[in-house]
Amino acid sequence: MIRFLLRRLAWAIPTLWVIVTLSFFMLRAAPGGPFTEARRLPPQVMANLERMYHLNEPVWEQYERYLGNILRGDFGPSYVYRSTTVNQLIAQGLPVDLTIGALALALALLIGMPLGMLAALRQNTAWDYVSMAGAMVGISVPTFVVAPLLILLLAVKAHWLPAGGWSHGRPAHLVLPVAVLTLPLIAYVARLMRGSMVEVLNSPYIRTARAKGLPERTVLLRHALKPALMPLISFLGPAAVNTLTGSIIVEEIFGLPGIGRFFVDGALNRDYTLVMGVTILYAMLIIAFNLLADVLYGVLDPRVRQR
Amino acid sequence: MRVRGPQLRSLVVMIATALLSACSSAAGDHAVPVYRYVVSDRPAPESQQVLRQRLVMTPRSLDPSLATDVPSIDVVEDLFEGLVTLAANGRLVPGVAKSWQISDHGTKYLFRLRAAARWSNGKPVTAGDFVYAWRREVNPDTAAEDAQSLARIVNAQAIIEGKKPPDTLGVTALGPHTLEVRLVHRTPYFLSMLYNAYYMPLYPPAIRRWGMAWTRPGHLVSDGAFYLTDWVINGHLTLKKNPYYWDAARVRLREVIDYPIPSSSSALARYLAGDVDLVDTPAFPPSDVAWLRRALGAQVQVAPMYATGYLGMLVHEKPFDNRDLRLALVMTLDRRVLDGKLLQGMDMPAHSLFPPLPGFTRQSPAWAHWPMARRLAVARRLYHAAGYSRAHPLRVKLLYATQGVHTRNYMEAVATMWHQALGADIVLWQEQWKVMLQDIQYKNAKLYWSAWVGNYPSPYTFAHQFVKGFVMNYGGYDNPAYQAVVRAAVDQPNRARRYALYGEADAILNRDAPFIPLYFYDSNQLVKPYVAGVEPNVMDLHLARYIWIRAHAVQRQ
Repeated sequence: MIRFLLRRLAWAIPTLWVIVTLSFFMLRAAPGGPFTEARRLPPQVMANLERMYHLNEPVWEQYERYLGNILRGDFGPSYVYRSTTVNQLIAQGLPVDLTIGALALALALLIGMPLGMLAALRQNTAWDYVSMAGAMVGISVPTFVVAPLLILLLAVKAHWLPAGGWSHGRPAHLVLPVAVLTLPLIAYVARLMRGSMVEVLNSPYIRTARAKGLPERTVLLRHALKPALMPLISFLGPAAVNTLTGSIIVEEIFGLPGIGRFFVDGALNRDYTLVMGVTILYAMLIIAFNLLADVLYGVLDPRVRQR
Repeated sequence: MRVRGPQLRSLVVMIATALLSACSSAAGDHAVPVYRYVVSDRPAPESQQVLRQRLVMTPRSLDPSLATDVPSIDVVEDLFEGLVTLAANGRLVPGVAKSWQISDHGTKYLFRLRAAARWSNGKPVTAGDFVYAWRREVNPDTAAEDAQSLARIVNAQAIIEGKKPPDTLGVTALGPHTLEVRLVHRTPYFLSMLYNAYYMPLYPPAIRRWGMAWTRPGHLVSDGAFYLTDWVINGHLTLKKNPYYWDAARVRLREVIDYPIPSSSSALARYLAGDVDLVDTPAFPPSDVAWLRRALGAQVQVAPMYATGYLGMLVHEKPFDNRDLRLALVMTLDRRVLDGKLLQGMDMPAHSLFPPLPGFTRQSPAWAHWPMARRLAVARRLYHAAGYSRAHPLRVKLLYATQGVHTRNYMEAVATMWHQALGADIVLWQEQWKVMLQDIQYKNAKLYWSAWVGNYPSPYTFAHQFVKGFVMNYGGYDNPAYQAVVRAAVDQPNRARRYALYGEADAILNRDAPFIPLYFYDSNQLVKPYVAGVEPNVMDLHLARYIWIRAHAVQRQ
């Protein structure tokens, strides 16, 4: 297990290096720079800015300097938010996404898993059809349709909830964004859970367990649940990263101060360091969660552990 | 039409806007609940003196030397005060300076500062704080994007270029409350520039102690009506009343909360939900003005702004080096249709460069008053004289930025008018903002959408963009007669005569048509009926120190 972890972590280093290098040079290849503004800067002022941020050096030197800085955990100053470092921006934005994302994930699992299991147990009943049709709707209707509708109904018409904002995470401000993020997730979780549960329940060893006369509860929770979780875990690895790092659309619609907007605004403003910082963070999280999913496979399935 | 690089954000905003307006118009005007406010003339109790307002974007920096974007400047102007400031109606009034004298043919200014002016920590605001701030602004190590705005001061240019040390700047503290400023040459609009962020004083100990982090809440010391207590980037900013402000007795708001909300549909939702009291320009796209007026009445405020939207042309290259062609294109556009149908009457049709300003008479070209049939006949003649016809049409790319549906509709209408009247073949070309800017600045674009927003109330801010050699004269217009008139205007101390000279400049531009004027911008904002003290002004600046909350009750209809 430890060798497996070490090997995977060792692989993460070249992966990250490729991501850093590619995004570093691709960003600089995009037309326009961080200081290309509607009011064009006089050449002397531009020269002072470029000197300040070392943009006057050859690209290779900038690349070397940047690699050295990120090894020390320093993502550098933001070019657009000129009084702020990228580390400060991430430190301020990430907790917002983590709060909303973790709540949405937890809710999705708490609601989606039992829903899927029930649908699998009562296969082809009205219960199954209704919950799966509901899940299809949840998956197909996009966030940017659900969010404005909920705002219109619950905030603009009923005045029950604020239409946006964060206010340091006051509960009323969390309800709508968490709901919008959770709805499609519940649907995915329920459908995956139903699918794999149906498959497992039809397998010979469950028949054996039942033939032994084990109570249905034990059959389900001890023998069926563990293998039925495998597809869900493959889905949750990347889904957790997406949810935890914030949805750009949800942040935009609800005016949340998360890092998803830094990613888009940073790219549009050519804020090289900010985009790089967020990209590296995403990449690290994806690697970490995929690793976590693989470890969980091993925990759940002895066959994976032996390999 | 080819569309390049649609951005995710504007797509989302577009869809969200479409949905919101579909919801509202499908079910009639009553779909959006309109709350009735019973408003009194008396101010609300002090605990309710809180203004919640929307910013168009998140401020990039609250350091007055580095604030160059609109939202940063909006917040900085509530936090800091310069030598002069603006009244609620936009008129220039004394700020930290209580009086001034101008001598040496308009090149020497002597400012007397208020003894009562205080920083938010109670320390007095001194002439030395201005000297420190202005030297920091031009210091190459600060790399301030607006440093050039101080170039009228003696030695500023040389300091920006690194040829002289910052302490040689022509600004001296003659005493704690006396400031002397020396200019390179007479600058009649100098005073009107002084309210800008880059001329504000700074509190040196805070910057020396905290470095780049001095603008964080708790570190930031300001001399205006408010000080900063909370700032979550992309979330909100909280400003509290500065008890030491010299005019604090007349500031009624206890607190200002600024919410950056880039999408105007989200801003509208939060305004209707009652989370926000004031949504500033641009509060809504032109397509929404009609139903919003029906639903919200006087809460919708539209007023002229000091800004012009136009199409720029590269005039020293083919095909736009031909004046007949340029005039034909300018005359063909029926601005009443563009303004009435596409902008819903929200902006004002423009036939010339300078927007309306009190005391200034615009010079409309003669053809602007002709009937459309006569204009089109003359335009066709000019088009043919330039060597074009339906058989050999003008083929050109019209470049504009990805900015939402109404810009695209507008550009399509422009291209259609030229096609119908002249047979010109226009390819609409959409680019992401920064890509478009680079194409314009590197002169890769021959015909492009552009806008100019005056950053101080003087025609000069519009005139200098067509002066040869000016860094933002992207079209490359070069007319010695025009430059002579503008130079004469700059040197003219008498305002009436100066404005007459700018009128002559306006007329020269009308004859040469180095650009295609489209519209003068209107500001458009949403203001709750209980918010008092928001007066329309051409600079579209609404300082929170003049705003207050009326006693009110909310009734649901």
